[in-house]
Amino acid sequence: MTPLFALLWDTLDDRLKLRAPGRKVANKVFPHHWSFLLGEIALISFVILVLTGIFLTMFYRPSIDPVVYSGANELFGGRRLPAAFESIVRLTYDVPGGLLFRRIHRAAAHLFIATVILHLLRIILTGAFRKPREINYHLGVVLLLLAFALGFTGYSLPYDALAGTGIRIAYTELLSTPYIGDRLAFWIFGGEFPTGDVIPRFFVFHVLLLPGLIIGAISAHLGLVARQRHTQFPRVGIDGHRWIVGKPLWPSQFAESATLLLWVGGVLVASAVLVPWADIVLQGPYRPGEVGNNAQPDWYLFWLEGALRLFPPIEFSVLGMTVSGPFFAGAVMPTLVIALLVVYPFVERRVYGLEGEWHVLQNPLDIPLRAAFLIGTFGFLLLLSAGATNDILSRLWGVPIETLTWVFRILALVGPPLGAVGIFAYSKRRLAAKGQTVASVER
Amino acid sequence: MTDGTAPGSRQPETTPVADEIGDLRVIARDDPPPSGANDLIVMGAASGAILGGIGFAVGLLAGAPLGFYGAALAVGLLSLGVAVRRWITDRFPDIDAVELRPGPEPSGPIADVAPVPRRSFLGRFLAVAAGVLGLGLIAPVVSLGPAPGDALRRTAWRRGSRLVTTDGQPLSPADLSPGGVVTVWPEGAIGDETAAVILLRLSGEPVDPTNGDWVVDSTVVAYSKICTHAGCPVGLFREQDDALFCPCHQSTFDAQRGAIPTFGPTARALPQLPLGVDDEGNLVALGDFTEQVGPAFG
Ligand code: HEM
Ligand code: FES
Repeated sequence: MTPLFALLWDTLDDRLKLRAPGRKVANKVFPHHWSFLLGEIALISFVILVLTGIFLTMFYRPSIDPVVYSGANELFGGRRLPAAFESIVRLTYDVPGGLLFRRIHRAAAHLFIATVILHLLRIILTGAFRKPREINYHLGVVLLLLAFALGFTGYSLPYDALAGTGIRIAYTELLSTPYIGDRLAFWIFGGEFPTGDVIPRFFVFHVLLLPGLIIGAISAHLGLVARQRHTQFPRVGIDGHRWIVGKPLWPSQFAESATLLLWVGGVLVASAVLVPWADIVLQGPYRPGEVGNNAQPDWYLFWLEGALRLFPPIEFSVLGMTVSGPFFAGAVMPTLVIALLVVYPFVERRVYGLEGEWHVLQNPLDIPLRAAFLIGTFGFLLLLSAGATNDILSRLWGVPIETLTWVFRILALVGPPLGAVGIFAYSKRRLAAKGQTVASVER
Repeated sequence: MTDGTAPGSRQPETTPVADEIGDLRVIARDDPPPSGANDLIVMGAASGAILGGIGFAVGLLAGAPLGFYGAALAVGLLSLGVAVRRWITDRFPDIDAVELRPGPEPSGPIADVAPVPRRSFLGRFLAVAAGVLGLGLIAPVVSLGPAPGDALRRTAWRRGSRLVTTDGQPLSPADLSPGGVVTVWPEGAIGDETAAVILLRLSGEPVDPTNGDWVVDSTVVAYSKICTHAGCPVGLFREQDDALFCPCHQSTFDAQRGAIPTFGPTARALPQLPLGVDDEGNLVALGDFTEQVGPAFG
């Protein structure tokens, strides 16, 4: 330590008594595996989102009032544009570094959501959600939903043609709620679509409310990991339910996290140089009554988009309410999927009569129900997502869109149950062949 | 596992400790050999970080293209990552250690000051009071938007509203050639989303359930442009079979037959605008839509 640092440290330590707790933290043993980095990459992406987002917020104007753009871009020069869109154009073409930060922000958003989803998959695949970690798992589900909301509101802010179409569909989803749909939609949008309130409100959600909630939830999430300690993969000769095996926070884990931060940052910046992540403004501002040909949300909402496309034409009135396809596809189905995620840990515990606490990770094939749950649920979501590309596939393959839609309808209904039953039977046989039962695989 | 509920039977209780460094119980230790090559890597990578930082700042300030200062920043971050990692791994031993997982909790109350006996009713009453107060605080939600009233059942179309293009031009039936399609609005409400209408000249005369009284010049009809599925603008017109097509989820409507859906996720036809011609020969509405425009609502 340089003398200056030593002096600073001594001064602080003298007043705050940091040595004993500092040593405890530095000596904390953290199990090591590449899949444990997924959550960390999600965290890093979020940090990068906040940093780049602060820069963007300096320029963004949350309003759809028309203003005349007078910057350097020729396509939009002298045109009247919604202020939000105009500020994005200005940021892109007239603010040095603006486009770079916009692209990094978009790239980090994709990486954030992708790694949150992969992190969730690793939690389920390895059984890290089991007692005593159910609370953190449920907190994770909340974080997943917040991440989706953060992504969607961000996607909406430029108020370009794609954003406007997405907002319109979200408004329809709210409207479709039985009995209170119209009220709900008017409360959130401030009136009938498209109101001047929607962009200012989405702005508040995107830069204040949702990030605040996410920061709070991440803090609790990491606090729980620290309190309950991390799970680990089995290791010969060591009872992982009693002992944590890993590397100390200082210096191993610190070195790893610091490099990960710098490398993820570097890769995101490099991708922003190579990939025009954020250049969709070229499609022009949103105008009511106009839509482009490729109206599509970001990839992580494809499952909802696919459900909207594949759900059969249904609309009926009962008990004074109108129930329509978008309500099933956009509200009932996602609620069921999330409910399934929420209850699964309890179901597994119940079905196999498991008791006690679990700290050692597993192969999902050792737990037939879990394998079936994974294949069924995520197979369904993937097939729905594929359904969201039916127009593109139709053009690409030259197959009529009607045929493709029917193929996806049938696949999404039949495929996941078949896959689930198949993997269930397979893992059961596999266990039996090893002479094991679910309760004994921990040995 | 510390109590009798441990799953299955476990391995024999060995303490896997080999060695201790301070409070750390070490089971494996790998000391980095002295290496001149490593110093070179750290130096090189750190220099890369310096160059990257300077390149980014100078490039940005001097107005260099994004590709230049972006690449400089990327190189700087990646090199600094290499430098930090090599520097630390060369200075410290790589250690695998073990730690006991948290054991069972001590028994006893969470706080030592216990209440003296009182009527339990008061506590419950207090909880109810807090609940009612909390519910009352929800009231401001109602201020967030106006009451919907019949806003969703009406549009800006009135009897006699002229149909104008997005540029504000009124139209006469002669402006539409066969296969012609144009987006129109009520005069004075251009861009009012729910009033968007698609005006068409069909290739053949429309049949039931098209309302023949609202067809002008035997083949000119007007339908709401807002898809009855999720509200996208029904943007595409396929002339060979007079089909209207929504780009969002591919609902397809037969414009010859009252715009009933023929494919896709929507269940309802596009409402037909009561269409007529005024004394000056301009296309006008004969009134508002008689059916609800756009998607269903709860
Ligand atoms: C904003 C999103 C999230 C962030 C930043 C985040 C971050 C992290 C980090 C850094 C860890 C420790 C390292 C690791 O095991 O990966 C962790 C652990 C954990 N996360 Fe997340 N997470 C997020 C979302 C989720 C989701 C969606 C779930 C599942 C529904 C989840 C469930 C868990 C659980 C159960 C643990 C404990 C893992 C163990 O002990 O093995 N998290 N999280
Ligand atoms: S909005 Fe037209 S098909 Fe969904």
